Amino acid sequence: MNKGNILQGPMGLVLMIVSAIVALAAFGYAFMDLSSVGHRSFNTTSQIPWGQPIATYLYFALASSGLGMIAALSLVFGFKQFLPIAKRAIFLSFVILIAGMAVLAMELGHVFRMLWVIPLNMQIQSAMFWMGVFYIADLIFLLWKFQKMEGQEWDSKTSKQIGIASFLAVLLASGNLALIFGMMSMRPFWFDGLMPIYFYLTAVASGLAAVVFFTYLAYGFNRAAMPERTRAMFEGPMPKLFAAVLGGTVLFIAVRAVTGVYTNNPEISVVWREFLFASPVYQASLWLGIIAPFVIMMIAGLRSNPSMQVLVSMAVFAGLFAERYFFVVGGQVVPLFRGTWEWGLIQYTPSMTEWALTIMGSAMLFALFAAGERFLNLSDMPAEPAPEGATAAA
Amino acid sequence: MTKWGMVIDLDKCTGCQACTTACAMENNTLPGENWQDVLYYSEGSYPTAKLTWLPRPCMQCENPSCVAVCPTKATYKDMDAGGIVFVDWNKCIGCKYCMIACPYGVRFYADEKPVVEPDVRDVFPGEGQLHAPPYQGPDSDSVRGIGIQPKGVVSKCTFCYHKVSKAPEGVADLDEDNPETKEFTPACVRTCPPKARYFGDLDNPESEVNRLIADQRGVRLKDHTGNRPQVYYLGSGADVPAYQSPKKT
Repeated sequence: MNKGNILQGPMGLVLMIVSAIVALAAFGYAFMDLSSVGHRSFNTTSQIPWGQPIATYLYFALASSGLGMIAALSLVFGFKQFLPIAKRAIFLSFVILIAGMAVLAMELGHVFRMLWVIPLNMQIQSAMFWMGVFYIADLIFLLWKFQKMEGQEWDSKTSKQIGIASFLAVLLASGNLALIFGMMSMRPFWFDGLMPIYFYLTAVASGLAAVVFFTYLAYGFNRAAMPERTRAMFEGPMPKLFAAVLGGTVLFIAVRAVTGVYTNNPEISVVWREFLFASPVYQASLWLGIIAPFVIMMIAGLRSNPSMQVLVSMAVFAGLFAERYFFVVGGQVVPLFRGTWEWGLIQYTPSMTEWALTIMGSAMLFALFAAGERFLNLSDMPAEPAPEGATAAA
Repeated sequence: MTKWGMVIDLDKCTGCQACTTACAMENNTLPGENWQDVLYYSEGSYPTAKLTWLPRPCMQCENPSCVAVCPTKATYKDMDAGGIVFVDWNKCIGCKYCMIACPYGVRFYADEKPVVEPDVRDVFPGEGQLHAPPYQGPDSDSVRGIGIQPKGVVSKCTFCYHKVSKAPEGVADLDEDNPETKEFTPACVRTCPPKARYFGDLDNPESEVNRLIADQRGVRLKDHTGNRPQVYYLGSGADVPAYQSPKKT
């Protein structure tokens, strides 16, 4: 166990208990509303059926996939510099997906019915069917891989095979999640064959934000308290990877925005002009949550600064949450038939119950993470191999 | 095999919403959750402004995009029932993906904020039903989404299958003016005052609906989607204008 990890002390206990209380309170609030008046407590409508709870699920599910990909850097592709965060990334990937699924469960009309009607009816034409299959596979492989790490099986053949399977499950799950939106030709704002690439990129960005923030949190935002190899990772390869991924995200958003604004199709151009760019929240999330962090990470003098890394991780965390929200809602704001009472874009603001679900998922993540830091050694990593020269000399 | 289809003559339709009301009464839908609605459009400005309207039921598409996306097969197209698209309320999990995938916006998740006040669900609260109004239609078939819908599921127009299914076998058209088929005619067709709606078998070359589609060049809404509706429009007004920002109009 690492002595610098403050979450293994009283701070961790406090964080775990407070987060659990917040999660339970938010769950209680949402549950009371849903059981008394049903989905009337949501502000979603038949015109905008998917609102903030779906955006929250999407955000968590993709952050989970991103964390799985980050773990694969060292566990599958052999980039040993990222080994110090591999175990934490796998654990975070697991718990953040659990949090996302909890939010989704509260959003559905009949969550328990889902457990038997999906396997009994085998609708293999539906991307949502495959979402269930791939994310369950993802959960199983993440858990299995974590169990191998707990048993100090970092390099065994089985452990490597499970790592590869986990990585493939992550790719399939997040790619398929992208296609749930990307295959909807009747929703032109989403309809895009490259949507999986966009989701992979932003998944890694949100995964990096998560692993940077939670690693710093574990060490009391004090890099000096981190193990040497973890410190070296934060001083070298991690900020460079973060810069590259944020750069890719900026590029992808720019390309989508340029084509979106340029097209005559109002179901795309109006969304960009009058829903996204017209919103101060979207503007703030874009400039402060994605572009500014990219600029900071590009400046050599700033990207290694611990405070900047924490600031960037928090900004990207918030920025990408907004990105998911505007993505999900943006695909629905243009009425399918502008008629009768729909003269403008369809209005949607999340209700208190919907916010409660977002808070519930976030607090669950913090509580489970604090529990993980307390009861499992998430900072664990295999011993550094001896330098090649030393082996030869011996 | 019968393939039920509807023809709506927009040159005869007066936009009176009698179809909308009849549908709501027949199917016990919540106020505002209009499985059948008439949408109005205005374009241009005085003195050459144009007002058009479009009655919009479920299109019961030949190639329905809502069916393929449903993860539980709750939404299905029943070829033995004339190709009508149903929602099995016993299988629907309320994920609402079908509502996303429908290009026509004719699916409803009535478990939402009331569209019309006062909220009928509070006035007539129901156990197992979204609401329990004093009058309820005698027909109920949850496998086909007929009757008062329960909570947490999606609902839609069924072409009044509970009526249509009782029609004499092999009949070409269901016409409210024909005493032998009047009772089996969908509520919106039967009630239409200017007789702008026709209902019949699209697989029967002798049917009135097929004759109208051929003679008067029937068109399908948003045909480019590839969904191939079983609802056809005649006359002018099916060229629904694309969404335009109110800032530009």
